[in-house]
Order: sequence, then C-alpha cells, then structure tokens
Amino acid sequence: MKQIRPRQNYLGAGGWVWAGKYKLERYLYLLHRITGLGILLFLLIHLCITTIFRIQGQDVWEATIALLRNPWFRFGEYLVVIAFIYHGLNGLRLILQELGFALGRPTPPIYPYKDSLRKKRPWTITMLAVIAILAAVVLFDFIVGGW
Amino acid sequence: MRNTYLRLLQLVTGALIAVLLGIHIVIMHVDAILGFFGVDAAKPTSWGAMIERASQGIWAGLYIALLVFVLYHAFNGLRNIILELTPSVKTGRIVTWVIIAFGIIAFIGGTYVPVALLVS
Repeated sequence: MKQIRPRQNYLGAGGWVWAGKYKLERYLYLLHRITGLGILLFLLIHLCITTIFRIQGQDVWEATIALLRNPWFRFGEYLVVIAFIYHGLNGLRLILQELGFALGRPTPPIYPYKDSLRKKRPWTITMLAVIAILAAVVLFDFIVGGW
Repeated sequence: MRNTYLRLLQLVTGALIAVLLGIHIVIMHVDAILGFFGVDAAKPTSWGAMIERASQGIWAGLYIALLVFVLYHAFNGLRNIILELTPSVKTGRIVTWVIIAFGIIAFIGGTYVPVALLVS
C-alpha cells in the first residue's frame, strides 16, 4: 500500500533568508527575527554603556557620548530605531492576528478562493506604509539633529 | 502548558515594551522634532540631563520595569530560536539555564546603576 507522506515544506537553514513558495508574510517573519536579534545585540552594548561607563563618572560618560557622535555610530543608531519600529509594529500585527482580530469574515470556499492571508493583506500593506513614514520622520530628525 | 504561559508572557511583554520603549526613544532620539512642537528635551544624552532623570524615582522605576520586560522578551525570543535549531531535550535544557543565568546577570548589572544613582 502506498504511504502518503506529509508535504515537505521544511526550508532548513536556507529558510532564514529564502521563503521558498511562501509569500510576503514569510519575509516579514524573517525580518522580525533578524531585527529581534539585531536589537538584542544593541541591547547588550547599550547595557554596557549605561552601566559600566556611566558609573565611572562624567568624564568617561562624555567621552563615550562623543565617540557615539561618530557618523557610523549615528547610522547604526538609526538602523536600531528603524528595527525597533518594524519589530514593534509587526509584533503588534502578530499579536492582533494571534488573538483573532483582523482576520475578516468567514466566506464560503467559492472559486477564486480568498485565503485568510490575502484577506488581511491590506492591513499588512498599511502597516508597511506606516513603518516607511515613521522611518522617514526619524531620518529627518537624525539629519536635523546633526548626522 | 508551561510553553503556553511563556508565549503569552512574550505577547504581554511585547505590548508593554512597545509603550515604554516608545517613550524612551521619543525622548532620547526625536529631540529635534520634539523641539519643533515646543518640547525642549535639552540634549537628553548630556551628563546633566541624564543625572537629573536618574535622580527621579519615576524614571528609575520606568527604566527598571523596561529592563525586566526587555530582558524577558529578548532572552525568551532567543531561546525560542535556539530551541528550533537543537532538537535534543538535554541541549535545550542547558540552553534554557544558560539563558536564565545571562538574564539574571544582565538584570543585576542593569539595575545596580540606576539604583546607585537614585540613592546617591
């Protein structure tokens, strides 16, 4: 008797950068994970600066802040802010959907089918637009504040 | 069942971080735009501004609360990613305890300085 095997959809390590036949949401998930790891790395550096360097007094603190005024660090800081905006808003989308919001009304399966991913995609696109606007606002602040 | 609660806590801390870290970032990094709206953030990273914030209990409390939520959210997220890669139960247990130890060290280090500045 022929054995029915489950569909092979395991992407392995390549699935960290490549979504295979999956759509936009899979790339959002990958970016969520990458931004999360990036923010964690920043958190550890940030904790070192605000504890080890800060407790040594004003001179060390001001020298550290002067070092962080370097354009490369400012650019890194901008990336961290954008990563936080993305991670936060995408996380909010995931929380809402996990709790059953923004899924749309159930519809009968009549061709052409409309799966739940496509039903909630307008919300996803809106979220990406909001992220782009916030990224532009923060970029403006970084430029005005002295890159 | 335990993982369900850990997951639920991940969602709750995520929502709380969005609020608290949002406040932190707006005050620390969007000072040029705040100035446009008439709010003077007065160089938030300067020593004077930092010491003034550190001497107020509400800021110390806010930062310590943020630290607790962020450490849980970050390290639980990291644990989830690592456990996805390590199918062995024994390895998973070691990973969990190493991450808990890291989290406690980071919490003690991160809390000591705000408390020391507050009482000094």
